[in-house]
Amino acid sequence: MSEPVLLFEHISKSFFGARALHDVTLAVQPGCVVGLIGENGAGKSTLMNIFGGVLQPDEGRMCLRGRPYRPAGPADATAAGIAFIHQELNLFGNLSIADNLFIDGFPRIGRTPLIHRRQAMQRAEEALAAVDLNVSPKTRIDRLTPGHKQLVEIAKALHRGARIIIFDEPTTSLTSRETHRLFSLIERLRRDGCTILYISHALADVLQLADEIVVLRDGQVVQTGPKEQFDIDTMIGAMVGRRIDQLYPTRRNAPGDRVLMSVCRVTEPGVVKDISFDLHAGEVLGLFGLMGSGRTEVARILFGLDCFQSGTITTGGPSRRRRSVRASVDGGMAFVTEDRREEGLLMEASVTDNMALVALPRYRRRRLLGTFNQRALRRTVDEMVGTLKVKCVDPRTDAVKNLSGGNQQKAVIGKWLLAEPVIGIMDEPTRGIDIAAKYEVYSIINDLADRGAGVLCISSELEELTGICDSLLVMSRGRICGRFRRSEFDEERILAAAFEGHIEHETRNESGAPN
Amino acid sequence: MHSSDNVTARARLGRLMNALLRRVLLSDSFVLFLAVAYFLVLWVFVPRLGSARNLSNLSSNIWPLFVLVIGQMFVLIIGGIDLSQTSIMAIASVCGALLMTSGLDPALFARNPLWGVLISEQGGPLAGSVAAVPIGILAMLAIGALIGLANGVAVAKCRMPPFMVTLVSMFFFSGLAIFITRSENVTNLPAGFLAIGQSYIGHVPAGRSSVGLMPYSFFAGVALASIAWFVLGRTIAGRWFYAVGMNRRAAAVSGVPTDRVIVFAYTISGFCAALGSVLYSSRLGAGRPTLGANVLLDVIGAAVIGGISLYGGKGKVRWAFYGVLFFVVLDSSLYMLNLRFYTVNIVKGVVILMAALLDVLRNRARMDRTPTASMELA
Amino acid sequence: MDSLRQSTLTMALRNVPILMFLGTFLIFGLLSPRFLEYQSLENIAKQASYIGIIAVGMTFVLLTGGIDLSVGSNMYVSAVTAGLLMQRFSILPVLALVICLAVGLVFGLANAFAVTRLHIIPFVVTLATQFAGRGLGWMLSQSRAVAFPQSVTGLGAVQLLGIPGPIVIFTGVVLAAWVVLARTTLGRQIYAVGHEIEAARKAGINTRRVQATAYCLCGVLASLGGFVSVAQLGNVNSGFGEMVEFQAIAAAVLGGTSLFGGIGNVFPGTVLGALLIQMVWAGLVATRTDLYLQPLIAAAIIFLAVLLDSIRNTALAKMGRHNIRIEEKSSGRPDTSQQHSPRRKPTN
Repeated sequence: MSEPVLLFEHISKSFFGARALHDVTLAVQPGCVVGLIGENGAGKSTLMNIFGGVLQPDEGRMCLRGRPYRPAGPADATAAGIAFIHQELNLFGNLSIADNLFIDGFPRIGRTPLIHRRQAMQRAEEALAAVDLNVSPKTRIDRLTPGHKQLVEIAKALHRGARIIIFDEPTTSLTSRETHRLFSLIERLRRDGCTILYISHALADVLQLADEIVVLRDGQVVQTGPKEQFDIDTMIGAMVGRRIDQLYPTRRNAPGDRVLMSVCRVTEPGVVKDISFDLHAGEVLGLFGLMGSGRTEVARILFGLDCFQSGTITTGGPSRRRRSVRASVDGGMAFVTEDRREEGLLMEASVTDNMALVALPRYRRRRLLGTFNQRALRRTVDEMVGTLKVKCVDPRTDAVKNLSGGNQQKAVIGKWLLAEPVIGIMDEPTRGIDIAAKYEVYSIINDLADRGAGVLCISSELEELTGICDSLLVMSRGRICGRFRRSEFDEERILAAAFEGHIEHETRNESGAPN
Repeated sequence: MHSSDNVTARARLGRLMNALLRRVLLSDSFVLFLAVAYFLVLWVFVPRLGSARNLSNLSSNIWPLFVLVIGQMFVLIIGGIDLSQTSIMAIASVCGALLMTSGLDPALFARNPLWGVLISEQGGPLAGSVAAVPIGILAMLAIGALIGLANGVAVAKCRMPPFMVTLVSMFFFSGLAIFITRSENVTNLPAGFLAIGQSYIGHVPAGRSSVGLMPYSFFAGVALASIAWFVLGRTIAGRWFYAVGMNRRAAAVSGVPTDRVIVFAYTISGFCAALGSVLYSSRLGAGRPTLGANVLLDVIGAAVIGGISLYGGKGKVRWAFYGVLFFVVLDSSLYMLNLRFYTVNIVKGVVILMAALLDVLRNRARMDRTPTASMELA
Repeated sequence: MDSLRQSTLTMALRNVPILMFLGTFLIFGLLSPRFLEYQSLENIAKQASYIGIIAVGMTFVLLTGGIDLSVGSNMYVSAVTAGLLMQRFSILPVLALVICLAVGLVFGLANAFAVTRLHIIPFVVTLATQFAGRGLGWMLSQSRAVAFPQSVTGLGAVQLLGIPGPIVIFTGVVLAAWVVLARTTLGRQIYAVGHEIEAARKAGINTRRVQATAYCLCGVLASLGGFVSVAQLGNVNSGFGEMVEFQAIAAAVLGGTSLFGGIGNVFPGTVLGALLIQMVWAGLVATRTDLYLQPLIAAAIIFLAVLLDSIRNTALAKMGRHNIRIEEKSSGRPDTSQQHSPRRKPTN
């Protein structure tokens, strides 16, 4: 067996007494794609951060290409040929692609500090060609799709001579086509001799891409081996430590007849067109579509964050052109947004303060003074924290920014549940959270529907939607182009509807649908 | 052995001192300790600092500034800033004075745009009236609130940056104040009004005469502080202020009426500026178009020293008070030390830098700072 | 046609600074023909030059996401130092200029140190140095006016090819600043730091050096602007430079520089902003507006300008909702964006 390009030996790391990594020993062969899987909090990111020089290990050592490797900071890692493609990309939206590529040092005209623009453009074009991205280097980053931005990030890494690339949840913001393209690129990089470390919750993707799979659980390596040894069930089993018989809770009650929300021909030019559907009590309605199909836009319009030009939205009262958010909330609507950091949570505030925010007016004591029953509210929040199993030391003093992604998401959902919503809109409710937490979220959605609420669930994961929904709407390019009842769920037909209008010239096989 | 006992005793004492020092440094009331310590140290060098007269003076200076800082605090908590407080003071002062004045010198005011219309040699429209003082004060407060409201609407609805809005506001209203008085001070104010700033409850002997114990501004300050503490700590609106300051978008999605909250904050700030104007103007005995011209540094400085974050989401009434206390003690001590006015400026600047640096260090030392410690009574 | 209307609207919104500039020009020109005379326009340009130089420095700082409230005091201290040395030691005007700039640099360094090493936020730092600096200047001058000799005022009247000196210097400063911002690594790094300082640090940028450079440049340009102004006035009184920081910030913001950092440019942005403000003042004087009303109208106009700018930002953001993707070249495959979005030129 050839010399491993990367060797971790007995790496341990703790934060404030809590063990994040314990005695991790791992060898990575050159030119290999290693899939790193594990629940949130299992230690994947911590391990990679140590490797990338962001953190220092408490114990243990690393070897790179046979020599000891002790990065003092990310710059050392970059110099050693290691690139870390994070989920949150480190690009500057206000600058061009070329600017981003050369931001730590442009090609210069002789000895002057002036930028040699022609050289810069040329090299930028070469870098973009290496990742097969056909956009002008002068383009500003904030005009690119998330998929293109990621390619720019990879181009930047390759340009710096990266031979080991770490991907951390790369596909969460990508369309299927972009994912397909990324996989081809990874394949090409592997053939060129790069070593890839691929961290992801999309187990099917990992199974497809990786040569070797490493499973982390509670900071320790519990299983490693070639991918032939694994399938989805064993992966989940190793990650969780027990067999999971069920990914999705069973839908117990069928949706009722009472219509909670009636949407009729809602149109906002350039955004969505002729959106019509009914949401019934006890129904879990899924909304599927590719990135950019207008799903989130529909949700925001329904909730009142954005206005619409024509059509009606009726929720048991008269319809209005621009419903205020406050009216929606008072009317029993909940909205779990796509981006919990930007719109879901007050990162600096405590868990309790976050979760109390929506339900606050319900605990009003005296109308005029505006006082509220703090103790009752705190009690209810504590109960919800327990019910949802939001892992924190003390919800009253823990800042929500210190929680893991899954617990943060549960905090957001808990915040809305406290307001006892009648209509719940959830946009990507399980994004970036691990298997166990996902199941908990599905159960919450199930319970909510069972109690008579209507839930509109938006997601890019078709399996998730087919697993928990009673019916499914498919959107494409701002319109609804498919409706399926549970009995009619058929992945191929649903995907075909989602791609409608996008692939006139392509055959089915090239559509880029995930396998 | 005797020597090693001494060593261990000393080490233990050292550790105790260390822990105590840490406790003081990181405590919520640190600035209070600082102010008191500074006062005590300086008292040794300048005994006059502790005289009844000086203490009374200090007391009179604290409350008007405190009123202003409370207003600014609301705006800072929601993540904004109000640069126009000084000009609100000026315009309120001038308008109130013009309403209440009982006599104007034609030599100074004849060319005034309002001459003959609202004001004359006999004074303003309320001259001599019994209700002059209450109506005058109400008018001043209303003006402050209205200007604050306008600021708030511009920031909330028109999405204009608070710095620019309040900056423009500052220029506009100080210009307006100068315009309607043509740069003249308005005197001859009713005695009732002057009493607010110049009389005291209770007297203490001092030297050959006596000095006031509690100025009326004390009551205004305490009342306002109590209301502010109540609003921030016990009401729904209080939670909303902090939420908007921490993340306006998330607050909006969660059903917080962010626009109303922002408008409310600026209105409060304007109101407080006007209230401060009442206190300052009555003390000075005139309506001045340049009132408050230099007080912005004191307000922001006191807020920063107290620990109210300029980024939003953090602030307590107590901190505002400690900051004001420190600032006023510093200010008066500098004058007592007979420093030239320019040295006072230099020292103030340096002190603010030191205070900000201390705040940075304290925040770093307190890495596990719980979020609820920065909010009123969570 | 809907798309035609939309594209004209887009163009109008994108060029609000220029449109406002032209609008103000036309309005004042119509109200008072004297406004349009060559002498008047030349005066506007001359007055705008000294504020403009300072505004260019301020733009650097704003681009990094900071702010510098001390430029006025900086001007004052630098000018006073140079003036007193000239009086005491009869040094050459050129040397006086160098000393003036050196003091400005030191002032800027002090700000830079407090921001980058002590990690105090720029607003507080520069507020403090504004007051301390003003006090220092008063101490040096004992609050008396400091007169500058003929040799300096002579410099002030210098013309290059018929163009007054201040305008020439301003043009030079703008040119140099533009080159730095658009055509050097440091300039691009300034934008990066202003956009997101943590990402900049991770990308390997020496953020401390970038920020320090911005504050030092601002300091030097502030003192240069002060010197240019002094060369016109002939003396420095105790109120020299007061309120200048607000004018400089207004000029930069009106020219499109964001107070949050990462967005803005010196040409045409800050130049237009400085000219606009001066045009407003000159226009008010030319139309013989009541002296006491002038600040009111000026404030109202600037308010209008900032309001239009905010409207522009929100409208552009809203339209951006509809056109979110850029098309790829010659892919042969249809793109997945909602609407056809024209390729736009970078604005930095």
